[in-house]
Amino acid sequence: MSIIKSENLVHKFSVTDENDNIIEENSALDGVNIEVEEGQFIAILGHNGSGKSTFARHINALLTPDEGTLYVNGWDTKDESKLWQIRQNAGMVFQNPDNQIIATVVEEDVGFGPENLGVPTEEIWDRVEKALKSVGMLEYRHSSPNKLSGGQKQRVAIAGVVAMKPKCIVLDEPTAMLDPNGRKEVLKTVKELNEKENVTVILITHYMNEVIDADKVFVMDKGKVVMEGTPREIFTNVEELKKLGLDVPQVTEVAHKLKGEGINLGDCVLSIKEFKEKYKQVTGKDIASLNIKESAKKYDLEEPSEIRDNKIVSLTNSDLDDNSKENHKKLILDAKKLTYIYEEGTANEKGALNDVSINIHEGEFLAIIGHTGSGKSTLIQHLNGLMRADSGTIYFNGEDIYAKEFSMPFLRKHVGLVFQYPEHQLFETTVLEDVCFGPKNLGLSKDEVLDAAKKALKQVGLGEKYYEKSPFELSGGEKRRVAIAGVLAMNPEVLILDEPTAGLDPKGRDKILNQLKKLQTERNIAIVLVSHSMEDVAKYAERLVVMSGGKKLYDGECREVFSHYKELEEIGLAAPQVTYLMAESGKTVMTVDEAVDILR
Amino acid sequence: MIRDITIGQYYQVDSIIHRLDPRVKLLATLIYVVSLFVTNSPVGYAIAILFLVGCIALSKVPAKYVLKGLKSLVYILIFSATFILLFTGGEHIVFKYGIIKISREGIYNAIEMVVRLTLLLIGSSVMTLTTKPTDMADGLEKAFGFLKVIKVPVHEMAMMISIAFRFIPILVEETDKIMKAQIARGADFESGGLIKKAKGLIPLLVPLIISSIKRALDLATAMEARCYNGGEGRTKMKPLKYKKCDFVAYGVQVGYFVMIIVTNIVVKLVIKNVM
Repeated sequence: MSIIKSENLVHKFSVTDENDNIIEENSALDGVNIEVEEGQFIAILGHNGSGKSTFARHINALLTPDEGTLYVNGWDTKDESKLWQIRQNAGMVFQNPDNQIIATVVEEDVGFGPENLGVPTEEIWDRVEKALKSVGMLEYRHSSPNKLSGGQKQRVAIAGVVAMKPKCIVLDEPTAMLDPNGRKEVLKTVKELNEKENVTVILITHYMNEVIDADKVFVMDKGKVVMEGTPREIFTNVEELKKLGLDVPQVTEVAHKLKGEGINLGDCVLSIKEFKEKYKQVTGKDIASLNIKESAKKYDLEEPSEIRDNKIVSLTNSDLDDNSKENHKKLILDAKKLTYIYEEGTANEKGALNDVSINIHEGEFLAIIGHTGSGKSTLIQHLNGLMRADSGTIYFNGEDIYAKEFSMPFLRKHVGLVFQYPEHQLFETTVLEDVCFGPKNLGLSKDEVLDAAKKALKQVGLGEKYYEKSPFELSGGEKRRVAIAGVLAMNPEVLILDEPTAGLDPKGRDKILNQLKKLQTERNIAIVLVSHSMEDVAKYAERLVVMSGGKKLYDGECREVFSHYKELEEIGLAAPQVTYLMAESGKTVMTVDEAVDILR
Repeated sequence: MIRDITIGQYYQVDSIIHRLDPRVKLLATLIYVVSLFVTNSPVGYAIAILFLVGCIALSKVPAKYVLKGLKSLVYILIFSATFILLFTGGEHIVFKYGIIKISREGIYNAIEMVVRLTLLLIGSSVMTLTTKPTDMADGLEKAFGFLKVIKVPVHEMAMMISIAFRFIPILVEETDKIMKAQIARGADFESGGLIKKAKGLIPLLVPLIISSIKRALDLATAMEARCYNGGEGRTKMKPLKYKKCDFVAYGVQVGYFVMIIVTNIVVKLVIKNVM
């Protein structure tokens, strides 16, 4: 028997005016047919707004169909007498880890579900222990959820569902707000549940590499299922997926592009190992045997490196043209030996800074990477004076920003900082007014303010028709661009962005990153991008700074830093997938196109 | 700055006070508050202070941490003290300048008020520091359970309180973040007059309210998804049960209160006799 079966499921959202007349009807789901067998690992893909989350809420009977039927374990979700059985059997994990934990202690939160089901006290304890064990969080049972990392919180949320003994778990973008380590943790947990406890898993995501091991993938667009099949079948359609605003793993893309060059590695390649085998079969060449003269010697990966022993290694290589050019550029920000220690006992004890020096030149594209708690957020808040270092100095255009006569508002005008999830700081009634907030604070005249705001909105790709809209009716990606425009309107020389693409789908992500690149090249604004995504960093940044444990570990041209991918792994980071693919060739490859160029 | 508020925060450590039944601690807090308002003599306050110091010592919460919570409330204390100081009339004028008169009674009253408020704040924060919000909500639910008869939604209110506590640190962090984000956009929360300051709060409050509503909706959905259906038919993972130490604590409380009353009477008698 199939555990979930939807027949022509339709869900409409209606927009009403003040008198409750329906003005507009949108179908979030438009005739969805999905069938899931017990014990399967199912992935549902789709860009933001494709209807995948709405579908998830139907499975849990949080929403009921307007048309069509949905059966969960044989029960019709419209049958109210079965409501609690349906919710118990189809547990749900949501995107935001903070907004689904109810209790202040981990074990009590896990017990919340069983309590609601009326499970006897003794058994609740038993279930809680088992559930926490199954997600590997038993040792944290007495902790406060606020002290846990994002990945750990999501595992607690999963345990909370497991404790209800469901047949099926629906996870609605559980990794969207997590860093790469958290993502791995959650995914591993989910896979184990599926394999060991035979729980049916429905994973909703837009990270393609999370669905490779799924039994079946459904791709949704505009409320419809547009593709279904095994991951291999789905990833064959690279072009189509891209049209839907989705991505494919880098190896798959390389293989796809090679096909266009006449090297056919078969329909679909999903892993590095598979790629290498097929490449050898087809061309008779090993990737390791590819002879790349230009740089094979310079970055010999096998060479025992002394990097780990040295605390800070500057990789600036004087004989590289790029770098010597860099040196002629004007130095804007020069931070020297910054040290910042959080007050003991506060939740933020991690993330301190220890003797960090960093400089930012005019018009460069710099990326800062590091895992959560590495100090990168603390560092960027120093750069515009929101935090003050315990020791060390920062020079802005040669002036000491800690000097008494130095004006912080002046610094903040020139060094713009966009926080993570910046859309949370929007507050005005219209988009235009919100963007005006920054320039207004600078004391510009009314015309100048409007001018600056309009220019900034244009630069993030939002035209006149957005001016009078409320920021709150926009899509997630649009809101974020409004927020970025809000900082941009102050006309900064340096624009620092803390994970500007977090939670966006691939299309929204590319849009923002492309616009940043444009700002850099056209307006000569220095961009400092804090990111978790190595693929993005490799594609856009020129220079890369790696933070770990409050220290600067590497600082140099992207390619050089990525050539140390083994060391990066040790601190919980990684290089782009293509770098691994091509590692044996002796060249540090950063983008899909480069790889294709070599392999061709 | 904003992180310094420790009121309502739970301090995790294992102590006899932490292990007490929340109902015991609720009553103790109530008794303590009442005792502060009953007391009328320095001796009484001395006993109250000793009792509190004893509780803090037993609770193993560092005194520094307990006092930190006061820091954010210093202004309220100063404000009320000044108010009383200036507006208490009396015969013994100690200081006079224009219309400002400070009497000896005013000074006594102000000192008494500060002591009372301080003890009250510390007393109640000892309660929150040693009791998990969920336990406290449980305690309240049980203690006021009799109100269910007259259709007071006791369970729902207890649930609301415990959730509110869970979100305090999250909202504090969020406030901090939004504040910084707006400062980065040139907002100024510090300078200017009262009206300008109040206006300046809009960029902080609007996002905060919006995100709180969003969180509330998310949380409600998550609770529903986990079969939450009000108090009916719910079991408890940690049902409240009195232990021996709870009865002892009840005894201590009553003892304390009797002592305060006796001190009061004695002090009154002594004063009468002296007069």
